[in-house]
Amino acid sequence: MSNRETARADILQGTLDLMVLHTLDTLGPLHGYAIAARLEQVSGGAHRLNMGTLYPGLMRLEQRGFVRAKWGVTDSNRKARFYTITAAGRRQLATEKAEWDRTAAIMQTLLRESR
Amino acid sequence: MAAMREWVIRLWQTVRGRRADGDLEEELRSHLAMAAEDARRRSASPEVAVRAARIGAGGVSQTMEALRDQRGLPWLADLARDLRFGCRMLARNPGFTFVAVVSLAIGIGANCAVFSFADALLLRPLTVPRPAEVVTVGSTTSLDKSLSASYRDYIDVRDRSTSFDGLVASTESSVAFAIDPGTPPRPRIGMLVSSDFFPIMGVAPDLGRAFRPDEDQVPGRDAVVMLGHELWAQEFGADRSVLGRRVRLNGIEFTVIGVAPAGVAVLDRFTRYEFYAPLMMWARLRTDLRVRPFEARDFRQLEVKGRLRSGVTIAQAHTELSVIARDLARAYPDTNRDQRIVVRTELQERFAEAPANVLLIAMLALLAAAVLFVACANVAGLLASRAPMRAREIALRLAIGAGRRRVVRQLITESLLIAVMGGALGLGVGYAGVTLFRQFRIPTELPIAVSFELDRRALTANLVVALVSAVLFGLAPALRATRADLTAVMKATDAAGFGRRRRWGRALLVGGQVAVAVVLLAVSTFVYRDFQGRLAGGPGFRTDHRLMMTFNPSLVQYSDAQAQQFFAQVAERARLVPGVKSATLTSFVPIDGGARPVTIVPEGFQFQAGNESATLYSATVDEHYFETLGQSILHGRGFHATDASGSPRVAVVNEQVAQHYWPGQNPLGKRFRLTDHSGPWVEIVGLAKTSPYFFLIESPFEFVYFPYGQRPQQRMALVAESIGDPSSLVAPLSEMVRRLDANQPIYNIRTLDEMYRMRVVTILNVVVSLVGAMGLMGLALAIVGLYGLVAYAASRRTREIGIRLAIGAGRSDVVRMVLRQGVVLALGGLGAGLLVSLAADRALATVFPGGGGGHGRIDLVAFVLVTSVVLAVTLLAAYVPARRASRINPTEALRCE
Repeated sequence: MSNRETARADILQGTLDLMVLHTLDTLGPLHGYAIAARLEQVSGGAHRLNMGTLYPGLMRLEQRGFVRAKWGVTDSNRKARFYTITAAGRRQLATEKAEWDRTAAIMQTLLRESR
Repeated sequence: MAAMREWVIRLWQTVRGRRADGDLEEELRSHLAMAAEDARRRSASPEVAVRAARIGAGGVSQTMEALRDQRGLPWLADLARDLRFGCRMLARNPGFTFVAVVSLAIGIGANCAVFSFADALLLRPLTVPRPAEVVTVGSTTSLDKSLSASYRDYIDVRDRSTSFDGLVASTESSVAFAIDPGTPPRPRIGMLVSSDFFPIMGVAPDLGRAFRPDEDQVPGRDAVVMLGHELWAQEFGADRSVLGRRVRLNGIEFTVIGVAPAGVAVLDRFTRYEFYAPLMMWARLRTDLRVRPFEARDFRQLEVKGRLRSGVTIAQAHTELSVIARDLARAYPDTNRDQRIVVRTELQERFAEAPANVLLIAMLALLAAAVLFVACANVAGLLASRAPMRAREIALRLAIGAGRRRVVRQLITESLLIAVMGGALGLGVGYAGVTLFRQFRIPTELPIAVSFELDRRALTANLVVALVSAVLFGLAPALRATRADLTAVMKATDAAGFGRRRRWGRALLVGGQVAVAVVLLAVSTFVYRDFQGRLAGGPGFRTDHRLMMTFNPSLVQYSDAQAQQFFAQVAERARLVPGVKSATLTSFVPIDGGARPVTIVPEGFQFQAGNESATLYSATVDEHYFETLGQSILHGRGFHATDASGSPRVAVVNEQVAQHYWPGQNPLGKRFRLTDHSGPWVEIVGLAKTSPYFFLIESPFEFVYFPYGQRPQQRMALVAESIGDPSSLVAPLSEMVRRLDANQPIYNIRTLDEMYRMRVVTILNVVVSLVGAMGLMGLALAIVGLYGLVAYAASRRTREIGIRLAIGAGRSDVVRMVLRQGVVLALGGLGAGLLVSLAADRALATVFPGGGGGHGRIDLVAFVLVTSVVLAVTLLAAYVPARRASRINPTEALRCE
């Protein structure tokens, strides 16, 4: 993998982690599809997550101990794997949120200036 | 933290406990099903919506691939795959694997053995915490290159320097040790140490306590002793109530306050000291009352070690010590003029202590490296000859998209696999070496031993050598194999990419192998013949029919007068014991030791500026010495009983002394002063032949003998010449001494034959075996290399040979044709090897001075021997495959492919 690709993946990873953790924090345990659907809904359909991005991301969060997963049954009686945010995940979410706020603030100032 | 956890979990999941593929897939399918359901619910045209949803969600198989990568560590999984594949490849070519692994085992094992040798003699660190910090401080003398200091100088340096976290002083002490007044004392060796010795070295006693600072204040007051662990177990049955008991050292009562931990060689790798006592007891334990160790600034008998303060470099410490030394030289010009005080790391100090060992080890390490080179060249050659066979496989892999790096990695993995197997087998070779070294035994009752171990350090060295060799033999072929032109390889029917350059490379490799093998063989022949010659020449004194035993009556409180009387009686009565032909008293037995440094000022000799005297080794012997040891006096006379304390002082010098100080003159009648310009005159009455004094192989020493009557010593050996078996004299002579004094300890009772065997013959035999084994290994490996090359070249030319035979070439023509390459390589290698051997012969004269090798004389026999052996063997190695090639059936050869 070239350096540029790695860098792009990192940016995506960062935002993806934040979005997923936040969704799980506010809505409680969800399965993968529900997370994807929620993100699509929030973005007004602009952000469509494909499985190849979502599931490795979820696995990484699981490996890092930020989420836990368990097989369960949906309302429509379908088997699905439900993800729950952990205490460590909440701490991570808080850090990343603060980080994001700062970045966003900097970006805003910067963009306004250059106008 | 979390990132680390991720890697740990991924590692864990690679090895085991991974989420099954089925589980992952089920989750994805459930995702797709839900997406489809949603789409159907929302859209007017369900089919279209479902398709769109599916496309939006992405493919299951791509996702699975990404998940698998995330799940484990892909490179680790690759490695496992490579290893499995490598094992299969090796198993499929058992012949190749066998030769490669055995070659490497020999090369790696030889290095492993030499490492354990070097480790035991030179490299193994002290068994104290943080041994790298320990440095030695002191000054050198003209005879002894290791560092020592006097007590006064030690105190000044300790109090004034700031570069060290403590400086401790110690000195070895041999005493007569008795656990109570009733038992006869036995000689024991211990250390007198300054009180901060144990805390600064970081060694805590096993039992009781170490010394207190107040026990290091007043000379002779605190008679306390720590026992060595082994002595404690031996004499007291490891009784924990030993604390507070009283033992006798040289007749002085000492209280036991502690026991040192087991197996700690605190400051000496070879000696397990049996007791430790405060340095302040030095003067009382010393039996020679003429020197005053705490006052005499030139009595340099202390070993001073310390730990370098953190942040201080050795150069800074050096500068500081130079300043102190200059001040001391100004304040005490009599004793400290020209005394440089230096600091050395432990390793530097060991190198300075035993330069002969360093040279020997360097030579062995070079030879072992040469063996490894030949072994690696072998394996590289084998890999190269397999290259065309594998070229198509590799080309195929590259063609269907494998990265070049990935393929190189796989080939390197295979090399590593071979190397590790070779290393494992090499441990066996290393162990054989260690067993060989264990024949070394130092002839003494004292707990001094060199321990050769195949320990963790040797295992690590073994592994490192294996890995290095894998890179040596594996990397180049791997890189070359992947650089091939794919289309050419895929199209070609045979040996594509096997160009001229590659054949040249391999020929050079094999020629180099032969050359190195010639050098190895030549060196081992030189060493063997040199050692044989020296052993046959003998040590310059008679070892047969001679028995020695040593006494030090001052250890049991004899005064000088009593001791002289005792020795006179011992010598006199020994001659009366039946079976004794002659007997002598001597402070020095050649090879065994006992030589004392003496400072002399030869009359009329112009010293170089800054020097006014010479220090050389001396012995004190009685009038029967030269006769009893069978050493000849070349000119003048030996000693007479009349050379006593009242008569004019006389001495016998060896040829070295005569040549150095009175070149071209008759040394008889010449004089020198003892000690300095105001010392007494001594007249030379005899010239003795220069012979080995410390070891059979040494540069000639200057040596002077004094008569016992004029220079009595406290420690003397009795050497008796027997009429029959010398060991039959042990009982009557010991009995004779016991009757003189039942409490008199006798040590080192042994025949001179035994002493000589242990101190010289065994060591030379071990070195010869080692060097010889390496020579033979080198030759064997080179033969395999040459054979392999010729056989391989012949097999590539099968078709050509078939055609030649079919159109009428004779079998002998084919043999000659195939043989030619092998012969050219063998001759080239032989020539180059012989040239290098000439240089090696020179170098050997430095390692083993004073002998036949080197010195401008060339050992022609050795050269002829090596040349003919190498020629015969290499020709055979080339002839066998050549002959096989000529037996090809032309029809079959042409039909194949």
